[in-house]
Order: sequence, then C-alpha cells, then structure tokens
Amino acid sequence: MNHFRLWALFASLACTMNGTALAAGDKDAILQRGAHVATEVCNACHSLKYLKYSDFLKLGFTKQQVDVMRGDRNMGDPLIAQMAPGDALTAFGIVPPDLSLMAKAREGGVGYIDSMITGFYTAANGNTDNHVFPGIKMPDILGISQADPASRKALLVKAKDVSTFLGWAADPMAEARENLGYAVMAYVFVLTVLLYLLKRKIWGRLEWSTPGLH
Amino acid sequence: MTKKNTETTDPARRDFLGTFTMAVAGGGVAAACVPFVSSMNPSSDVLERATVEIDLSGIPMGQEKTFPWQGKPVFVVHRTSAEIAEMGASPGGKEPVPDSQRVQKPEWLVVIGVCTHLGCVPNKTAQGWLCPCHGSVYDNSGRIISGPAPQNLHLPPYHFVSNDKILIGKSS
Amino acid sequence: MKKMIAWIDARFPLTHFIKHELTDYPTPRNLSYWWGFGFLAGFVLVIQLVTGIFLAMHYKADSNLAFDSVQHIMRDVNYGWLIRYLHSTGASAFFAVIYIHMARTLYYGSYRRPRELLWWTGQGLLLLMMATAFMGYLLPWGQMSYWGATVITNLFSATPIIGDQIVIWLRGGFAVDDPTLTRFFSMHYLFPFLISAAAVIHLIALHTVRSSNPSGLNFADKDNIPFHPYFTIKDLFGLGVFMLVYFGIVFFDPELVIDVTNNIPANPMQTPADIVPEWYFLPFYAILRAVPDLIGGVVAMALSVLIFAALPYLDRSRISGGAIYRPVYRTMFYVFIVDIFVLGYVGAHPPESDLKVVGEVATAIYFSTFLLLPFLSRWEEGYLLKIGLPVEVMEMTQKEIEEAR
Repeated sequence: MNHFRLWALFASLACTMNGTALAAGDKDAILQRGAHVATEVCNACHSLKYLKYSDFLKLGFTKQQVDVMRGDRNMGDPLIAQMAPGDALTAFGIVPPDLSLMAKAREGGVGYIDSMITGFYTAANGNTDNHVFPGIKMPDILGISQADPASRKALLVKAKDVSTFLGWAADPMAEARENLGYAVMAYVFVLTVLLYLLKRKIWGRLEWSTPGLH
Repeated sequence: MTKKNTETTDPARRDFLGTFTMAVAGGGVAAACVPFVSSMNPSSDVLERATVEIDLSGIPMGQEKTFPWQGKPVFVVHRTSAEIAEMGASPGGKEPVPDSQRVQKPEWLVVIGVCTHLGCVPNKTAQGWLCPCHGSVYDNSGRIISGPAPQNLHLPPYHFVSNDKILIGKSS
Repeated sequence: MKKMIAWIDARFPLTHFIKHELTDYPTPRNLSYWWGFGFLAGFVLVIQLVTGIFLAMHYKADSNLAFDSVQHIMRDVNYGWLIRYLHSTGASAFFAVIYIHMARTLYYGSYRRPRELLWWTGQGLLLLMMATAFMGYLLPWGQMSYWGATVITNLFSATPIIGDQIVIWLRGGFAVDDPTLTRFFSMHYLFPFLISAAAVIHLIALHTVRSSNPSGLNFADKDNIPFHPYFTIKDLFGLGVFMLVYFGIVFFDPELVIDVTNNIPANPMQTPADIVPEWYFLPFYAILRAVPDLIGGVVAMALSVLIFAALPYLDRSRISGGAIYRPVYRTMFYVFIVDIFVLGYVGAHPPESDLKVVGEVATAIYFSTFLLLPFLSRWEEGYLLKIGLPVEVMEMTQKEIEEAR
C-alpha cells in the first residue's frame, strides 16, 4: 500500500512536471462522466449507499441533471442498487458489494478498481475471466473482453472515469481536507519557527557554569 | 541556580518576540476550537431534511394527512368547497386573520401541528382541531377559536413545486 | 488581581503549587529533546480525550449502526472527518511518542534507583493505553476491528480450567457481537480518565525523584534551572515539530494508519486473508506467533510487556549514566531496538517458513536480552571499575554502592 502511494506520488509529480496535470475543470468533467457510468451501469446491481443524490450537486451537476438521475427517488436518498438483493443473489450467487467505500477498502484503491474492470479476458475454454480477480462473479459489464482495439480505447477511458469517480465517492472530503491541510501546515511551520527563536532567546540568557555540558 | 543580574536577565521577561509568539499560539488554539464547535451544529443530512417534498395527489378531498417536517408534524388538509366557503366567511377567533392570508390555494391548508399553548399535537375534528392537553379549539383554517392557546396554528414556509407537489421548508 | 490571588492562596495553595511545580521546579539544564516526549504524550492524551468526546456525540455503539455512523461522521458531520482522523492518527501518535519515551528511559537507565516507582507507574500507563487502544479499535466495526477483537479475546481461553467461561464473559456472548461492542465502547470511554489519573500519579512520582539527565551525573542544585520558562519553551518547540509530522499525516495521508480491510464492514462469517494488528502491537503479536503453543504464546506475549517492570532489578550495574559509560549495556540496547523492529516486520507478514524462523530467533533475542542483563551488567560494572572511569562517574558510582549497602 505504501509502495503504491509512493508510486502514485512520483507519477503525479512527473505529470506535473510534464505539464499534463489535470486542471480543476478536467477533473470535474472526469468525475461527472464517471458519475454517469456509476449511476447508469454500476448502480443497477451495486449500492453506493453512503452517497446521496444531493452529493452530485457537489460535482457541478445542476439540480435538473440530478433530478433526471434520481428518477422518483428523493434528493436525500442513498444510492441503493436498482436490483433487489434477493434477485442479485439468484442471478450471481452473491449480493454485489457496496461500492461507496471500495476505493478505500482494497489495496491499490482507484488503480485496483481500474485494472479490475478492465481486466476481463476470454479464457481458452471460451469463458470470461479476470486477470486481477480470477473467478470473479461480476460479468464483464463494459464488454472489454469482446472489444476490438478501437472501441477498447473508449472503454479504457470509461473505466478510468468510473474508477476516479469511485475514488471521490470513498473520500469526498479529500479536497477540503488537503486545502485546510496547507493552511494548517503553514501556520504550524510559522509557529514552530517562532517558538524556536523564542527558545534560543530564552536559553541565551543562561550562563553555563559547568563547561561542556551543552 | 545560576542567574545573571536579575534585572536584565529575568528569563520570564516579556518582550516583543515572546508576546508575538504567544499571540500566534493563542490564535491557533482559538481557531482549533472552530471545528469542534461547528461539529455540534446540524450535520448535512439533518439540514437536508430541513425541507420535505409532499405529494398532494394522495390526499382525497375532505381528508387530512400529517407529515413530519424538521421533527414536527405538519397538517395538510384537502378542504371541501363547503369548508372553504365557511372559513372565508369567518373572521377567526382570538387572533383574527382572513382565511385568504392563511392559504396559498384555498383547497390546501398547510399548518404546523403544534398547539401554540404548550406544544401538544391537536387532534382533527370535523370543525377543525381540538388540543387534547388543555382543550384549545382551532377551526378549519387553523385559527384559535377558544381555549388557552394564544395564537393561530403557525404556518410553515412552503411553496408549490407543481400542481400537486409542495415543498415545505422554503417559501420560494 | 493580586487581591484575588491572595484570597485564593489563603484557601488553596495556588501560588505555592505553580512555584513548586513550575517556576521554581529544579530541572537539570542538560536535558535533551529526548526528555520532551513525556510532555508530548500529555498533549496527545488531551487530543484523544477532546476528539473522543466529540466523536462520541455522533457515534452509535450498535453492531448494525456503528460502521454507518462512522461514515456519517466522515461525510455529514461538520468537520467530522477532521475529528475522526485526529483521533485515529492520534492513537498511533500516542504509541509512537510513548515508545520513544520508553526507549529514552532504557538508554539512559532512567528506570534505576530511585526511579523504580516512576517506571512502574509508566508501565501501568502503558497497559491502560494498550487496553484502551484495543477496545477503541473495535468501535468502527470493520473487518479488522471484528477479527482483531475475536483473536485477542480468544487469548483468554488459555486461562486454565475457566478459560472458555472467561472468553464468553468478556464478549457477553458466544462470539464478538453487539454486547461486546457496547461494553468496549463504555470501557473505551472510561479508561482515558483512568489514564489521566495515572498520569497525575506518574507526575507526582517524577516531581518527587526529579528528572534523570543525559550525563547520568547528579548535578545537585548548581546546574538545575527552573522548569519554566526554560523547559516550557523547549517542550513547546518540540511540540511544534511533532505537530508538523502529526498534521502532515492527518491532512495528507490519514489512511496510512488505517488498514484497508477495516473499510469493509464486519462480517462474522468471513475472516479476511491476513489479520494484522495495528503497527504498535506488531512486535508483541510476533512473539505470540513465535511460540507454537496457545498457552505458551499467550504467556510469552504477556511476559514480553510485563518484563519491563523487572528492569530496575535485572540491571545490577551501579555505574551511573545508563548507556553512556557502559559499552556492553549500550550494545544490548541497540540490539534490542533492532530486534523490536525485526519482530514488528515479522508480525506484519503472514507466518511463512523463513519468516517463522526469524520470528523465533528474534523472540529468543528479546527475552535473552532481559535474562542476560543481570549477569552482563554486574560483569560490566566490575570490568569498568577496573579499567577506570571519569572521576565524577567514579564518585557517583562509589556513592551508589555505599547507599545500596
């Protein structure tokens, strides 16, 4: 996990240096596209119960857009799966797990989700399997195992969008946290410098009677 | 204990650096209280429940339905034309207000179901409401007719989102 | 103002207390920053108390609601994410600070006469802290919470005859469940107050025997300086540096100290692939696993914590100054520290064959450090007295030997 974080840090630094870092607007666009995939595809079977429809307003969606997404559900309702758990159990043999914390609940986080949903392939026996999660019960919902190279590219973007969105869903306060973090760190740094100067000043008034003690 | 001349070297002596540092530290402590105080305010899910959308199509004429709004009951009455006419003619009781000022659409009366006397929830009667605690009587416009209650039943802020949907909690 | 203080002083020793414990309290002037970690521990205790009290306003101790209520805190409560991350990171910070505090005590031999009681109150504080951390870890009701509590409560089944009854009694059921959660919550709220009281006792003991110092010499009064302002400002500067690290984690990588598996709700029907305790329990966990027998493992683990209390008697050298003038003791100290890190590494990984051997060897080294100490320290004392030491140290040591008679 820590290795993964270090790599992510280096990768983002490298991107920044190459000038390819995402602008804030791009990030919103990705999150909005991902939100569409999540509500239209994932949410059919998976719940995202710690998200409410009103949370989409924070991603820059208008109220009208959210009204379309929520259908006859209320603004404050959680994103419960469209499919009843019992039906899912009959269809897949398992109730699909809730996705709202998935990006925090797997080693590798967003990267794991991305490689899992793009990891489907057609095995020698003709069955579909997954490189990342062998024997997975989830179907290849994006159709990546059947895709030709041209449509595959679009699917990879789609997967990236939805995994980025799930990253946001697991930690919607991350941006607020980091913004506050910069201010707090700057403050504590200044305070620490002041305390150091004051410490030197106060200790400077002291005479040392035993040479070599300090 | 080693001390130089106490006048010039009193270690606790106030100076600019010391005062400034303590002021910065004090500011930090004060700022650190903000998140804790703020965490006791209503959380976002509570605030979300500050407004509630009500579908009126399920309330037949002549019936009353109660909905929770901000932890209090709200009475929504689908009034008959006879009741509307009767209320329009009546000036009210202790706190006279014309019926037209109590409703947005005459067939829909929306009032907070909390007796203005001591906070009990009145029960529906044919004539309006009767409070079970101390016998205050309200008419079908929610106006106080008799009993100890000092005021008419309060009106929540609300508005019509569509013909048969109202949003309680916001007046527009 | 003066009148008011006089009024209070006539009824309560306010000025006397401040003078005696702060502005006139004699402190060796050569205390290094390693002596600041006790103060930091006090600071983290306050953080944990305050954040904990505010978290308890929003948390629900119910096995059906606990996990959701943590997400409610993280998403809905104003600054809930901040308060929760301060608390979860604070737990790790508390142990980090305390472990450094203990390592300092070991290195400088601060546990020796006359500071045995001070050391033992510290040991009591450590046990209370461990219990508090363990019970607090169940509260988020994630997979790691649940299985950690299951495994640790099961340790008590090693008790002879009534082991199984004790486990059921601890859990309030046949498995970790709702009754376990509610009692852990109750105790997790109570214990910090016991810790606060124990910390006061620890401080009273400290102010009776006074601080040790890095030279190992007793400077009497001529080289003591008042605690305030010299050490208040030194400790506060140390606090600034500590906060830079602490807030760095809280704001920029708070999940660093939260196992990913604990973001999955508890499921009594499925154990996660590897159960790992929090980093601060890893060395002890490695010792538990190194002994291939349930009862033996539990006894070894309990001993590994409790054996620290015997140090004042295991260390039989009367040479003052901890590791400074004592090459053998110093070597043992460093071996011991490295050994703890090795145990921590072993504890964090699944018990595969190679690592299993490493764990067993490291456990053997752990205990032999303590068991060899009486012999090595006495031999070292004789050797050092023979080859000679700096004059002050010689004098101090002679005095020690005299007094011990």
